[in-house]
Amino acid sequence: MTTATTDLNFFQVKRGLFSWIFSIDHKRIGLLYLYSLMTFFLVGVTLGVLMRLELLNPGKDIMEAQTYNQVFTLHGVIMIFLFIIPSIPAVFGNFFLPIMLGTDDVSFPRLNLLSWWIYIIGSIMALSTLVFGDGPADTGWTFYVPFSVNTTTNVTMSVLAAFVLGFSSILTGLNFIVTIHRLRAPGMSFMKMPLFAWSLYATSWIQLLATPIIGITLMMIVAERFFGVGLFDPSIGGDPILYQHLFWIYSHPAVYIMALPAFGIISELLPTFSQRTIFGYTAIAFSSLAIAFVGYFVWGHHMFTSGMSGTGRIVFSIMTFLVAIPTAIKVFNWVATLYKGSINVQPPLLYALAFIFLFSIGGLSGLVLGALATDIHLHDTYFVVGHFHYVMFGGTGFAFFGALHYWFPKIWGKMYNITVANIAFVIFFIGFNVLYFPMLVVGLMGMPRRYYDYLPEFHIPNMISTFGSWILVTGLLLMLGNLVAGLFNGKKTGRNPWNSISLEWQTPSPPPLANFDKLPELPEGGPYNYKND
Amino acid sequence: MEHKNEQPNEAQGHHISSYKEHFSTLAALLLLTVLTVAVSVFGADLRSLSVATALLIATIKALVVAYYFMHLKYEHKLYRWLLLVVVLLFVLFLVVTSIEYLNR
Ligand SMILES: [Cu+2]
Repeated sequence: MTTATTDLNFFQVKRGLFSWIFSIDHKRIGLLYLYSLMTFFLVGVTLGVLMRLELLNPGKDIMEAQTYNQVFTLHGVIMIFLFIIPSIPAVFGNFFLPIMLGTDDVSFPRLNLLSWWIYIIGSIMALSTLVFGDGPADTGWTFYVPFSVNTTTNVTMSVLAAFVLGFSSILTGLNFIVTIHRLRAPGMSFMKMPLFAWSLYATSWIQLLATPIIGITLMMIVAERFFGVGLFDPSIGGDPILYQHLFWIYSHPAVYIMALPAFGIISELLPTFSQRTIFGYTAIAFSSLAIAFVGYFVWGHHMFTSGMSGTGRIVFSIMTFLVAIPTAIKVFNWVATLYKGSINVQPPLLYALAFIFLFSIGGLSGLVLGALATDIHLHDTYFVVGHFHYVMFGGTGFAFFGALHYWFPKIWGKMYNITVANIAFVIFFIGFNVLYFPMLVVGLMGMPRRYYDYLPEFHIPNMISTFGSWILVTGLLLMLGNLVAGLFNGKKTGRNPWNSISLEWQTPSPPPLANFDKLPELPEGGPYNYKND
Repeated sequence: MEHKNEQPNEAQGHHISSYKEHFSTLAALLLLTVLTVAVSVFGADLRSLSVATALLIATIKALVVAYYFMHLKYEHKLYRWLLLVVVLLFVLFLVVTSIEYLNR
């Protein structure tokens, strides 16, 4: 660890566009990811709002059925591959992992830059489906065969985009694994590592070991489309269920690529804002690994109604229930952390608490889907759509925005308006529930997902849901507007506005290029050893 | 305190393979390819085992490539462990999928 030779922060050392897009500084690459991710996120939100607008009334409101199919597919592809999968690791992992480990960069800074470029190329490929041929794929983000092989829309390009984006994800994972093994500050053993680093470690192994499977699976679709190899088409000896196996062998673990980093964020936020040691450090750390491991063997729960064997269904259902154990361990430990803490209610804490609430609804509705009998009724209904929005958006999305509010003063050295942030949070939270809770209800009533039209008895919940989308967008815009305003006119903050003992708060805000101006001191007795316990 | 060194310094053990080793590896691969073809042409009575035989030969070829051409034999043990872990994971995927398929 060297000390900085200048007082300049990492924004000031170099200026100009090229100093950013060719930067190998992990902090700048994290911000590049942030800006690009937020752009694609807003595109995805717009598509989502358009879908809700179409579903306001039965029959046609604003778009044709075919357009609707393409809109929900593009919404899924953008939100999954361009936003949630990279989100927390690529933005906050890149920016804060090296700082939290007390080092000056990731192990492979150039690979890190390459991963951003690959991400941008993949994103452009995904969005390019809008402008040529028959438009974006209309298969849903899952690209199920045989339809994905037959449709004339731009499935090949969408699939290639996901393939390319996979490489970006693999490179980030590889980088983090090596960084965590090799670059921890002297004295920081694995068991003294921040839990955010632990969660990124588990995530990285999934990225590294599962992503190649989706790559090869998607290439099989291309082979099937162009050469009719007969991998999935039963009339020439293929098996359509094989596609679903291969797709979900990656895409279920991918759920944990999205969720585990969020768990890590929550494990950072709660100790800081309750000024108290995290409850059950070891249990939280190892439950991440347990989730990552067990999560590899539950993929079949997406296929209970696909004509899978009875034995297969039972095995996958049992395994699915097993994942609930390490997840519940985390939830209970978080709640226990708050107990008798001196709680400081700030926007990041609000997002963390909302995370626990929304993620619990998402997780418990997941058990309803993981049970064989109830899944027969609920499979492919709006219950599933409600469930995964609670998990992904209510979980990872809220953790992402919580992290943004938490580390904002560190990244930019300024503070946003706390009152406005709190108001935006309340609107956002209410909008979220008004938008997605009716989906759970209407799904229980039997409304199928991915349908352009619906029966009159589903009208009222759909109307409520669409109103919710407007509330949510209002909250979202207020939140982002407040952050952007803070960026320009926010009050300057010192090193440690939240009184945290984590390493990133020991350095100036914004940090200097080499991350620390003086040697960081590891807190005695572990990363969460707050004095007032 | 110590900075854990879990891998040896790369500079220490950079193995340079001889021509002899390269060519014998090539010969082995070609031989195995001939064997694959031979089995598929003449081995019609293998029936359901023909896929298994082809996969077995392909696996041996992959290992030869990994060990000699890709220098796994001369690298630190860690890399062999990593390969083993990945292969085990792959086998587990196959086993779980087969449990489903064979009971359909
Ligand atoms: Cu799943």
